[in-house]
Amino acid sequence: MPARNAKQWEKVPGKLSSGEYVDSRIYSDRDIFEEEITKIFSKVWMPVCHESELPDPYSFRTMTVAREPVLVVRGADNQIRAFLNVCPHRGNMLENRPSGSFEEASPSGAPKHITCMFHAWQFDMKGNCAHISRATEGYQDRLECKDVGLRRLRCEVKYGGFVWVTLNDGIGQTVEEWAGGAFDCMQKSLDAEPLEVFHYHKAIIPCNYKLWHDTNSEFYHDYLHYHNRVTGFNDSYFARKNIGFDNGHVNVGSFEVQYDEYEGFESREELSFPHLPTNHWEMIDFFPGVNFNLRGSALRCDIMTPLGPDKVMIEFRGLGLKRDTPEERLTRQRHHNSIWGPFGRNLHEDLLAVTTQQATMSEWADKRRILHGRHELDADGDPTIHDEEGMRHFYDAWGQWMDRWPGDPDLSYEEGQKRKAA
Amino acid sequence: MSDNNIAERVRGTIYQASLCLDEARWEDWLGLCHDEFYYAIRAFSPEINVDMTYLDGKRADMVTLTEMLPKHNSDHSPLARHTVVYTVDVDEAQQTASAVSSFTVMKTELDGINSHLLAGESNVFLVGKYRDQFRIESGTPLFSERIVQLDTRRLDKGSHWPI
Ligand code: FES
Ligand SMILES: [Fe+2]
Repeated sequence: MPARNAKQWEKVPGKLSSGEYVDSRIYSDRDIFEEEITKIFSKVWMPVCHESELPDPYSFRTMTVAREPVLVVRGADNQIRAFLNVCPHRGNMLENRPSGSFEEASPSGAPKHITCMFHAWQFDMKGNCAHISRATEGYQDRLECKDVGLRRLRCEVKYGGFVWVTLNDGIGQTVEEWAGGAFDCMQKSLDAEPLEVFHYHKAIIPCNYKLWHDTNSEFYHDYLHYHNRVTGFNDSYFARKNIGFDNGHVNVGSFEVQYDEYEGFESREELSFPHLPTNHWEMIDFFPGVNFNLRGSALRCDIMTPLGPDKVMIEFRGLGLKRDTPEERLTRQRHHNSIWGPFGRNLHEDLLAVTTQQATMSEWADKRRILHGRHELDADGDPTIHDEEGMRHFYDAWGQWMDRWPGDPDLSYEEGQKRKAA
Repeated sequence: MSDNNIAERVRGTIYQASLCLDEARWEDWLGLCHDEFYYAIRAFSPEINVDMTYLDGKRADMVTLTEMLPKHNSDHSPLARHTVVYTVDVDEAQQTASAVSSFTVMKTELDGINSHLLAGESNVFLVGKYRDQFRIESGTPLFSERIVQLDTRRLDKGSHWPI
């Protein structure tokens, strides 16, 4: 077809049907973004860090979940707990450092306590208030420690030692129930022995979080990556299955990567994760914005923190086995970072593509259709790697959480379904 | 030759390397490096409390890496260094030297996001130190090692290019 005029451009192309495209406003509209924070991100389980980042009793990490500051600590009893990182007195952030230990005294407070530096209220590792400065002088019997504990958050350590947190006290599911089987493909590898984080960096890019999740969910974009084309693109690659799970999670099935087809790269055989066949590659796209990527010798995990309709922070972690020797660790880092590090071959390409993609979808840009309509089925009728089932599955769950139809967010989910059926 | 002269040549080599890297003249850059050259980009993460190696390789690896660049999709926004050599130490036998330099890399947008709006805009991209080792051969310093120690850890798009 020749280039289209404005009217033709607005029409649904070809014979694609509702549900096989989304409206670009879901990537740029401020109201939709605000709704995503309140209806999704503040309601679900999110991994926030890994247990190896809290190596000892009194270790802590800080982060942000659905715009709320969060503090994760390891107690004297070795239990990991999560709290809002907010002082119950006048709302100061309790701890400002990214990580550290409460074992030593802080300038305002005692050892083994979380101390708010502002007026020196102190809390223990279970979130109990332990000290209010000049309490009886100021509050008489109107307010005591027992009234001002920290806000505790539900927290689980699950799937290879990731620390999961939710702001939603009323969440009806455990992390395992929420995962709905999506971790079955790699749980044995993750839970065989303790893991350790060896890589961390972050990106804050002008891009909607879902575009990053999309690019993790669709492998059709391996055309972007010279590395993936030469090390993949064989029969077993094209046979990889795309499988949806409850709650919007997706797996992309494994195959054997031919690493030595890329000049200068080597097989990952020597340092394979436990139970993972040599050079295999398993992938979980976890709703609403997490990705677990187990590639031969290294596990990558992306955690997304949406900051605006066109802004997201992505934290990239690389993990190996805790028992690695220094030489093994360096090799694992090399395997991980040569592809996925900030100076690696693939990550730069992915980040480049999603930012140029978002550049056409600014708040003032015209709405348009983003196509998710590829169906590539295998002999059993199951969607394979270049099928866009992963994205369709995600957006169906998204539509239900948001009660909006992704193909036309002015419609409710039900109205959209009716239109699809019609 | 006096130690001062050698130190001066080491400084000159570091500045030449900065120019080669600024202009993406990879071959010329590697021409300043010994056959045994080792290159690494490292950073310490206060988030996970770990020393990290973001990229490393020997001279041959850097040759492969730079030769493969045309096959990859990249942000071609030029990077320009401001390098200042802080210290140069020449060993007694005048066979090796080490140097510490501070650098700031500025990125001038070209094709990274939306060139119509952004091309031409310069921003700080990376801050860090070069920790260099040299072999002195017939009075000429050749890089035997460059450790790029980054302070910057918010790396957004990162880069395909050596820093
Ligand atoms: S705000 Fe924390 S002690 Fe006052
Ligand atoms: Fe990719």
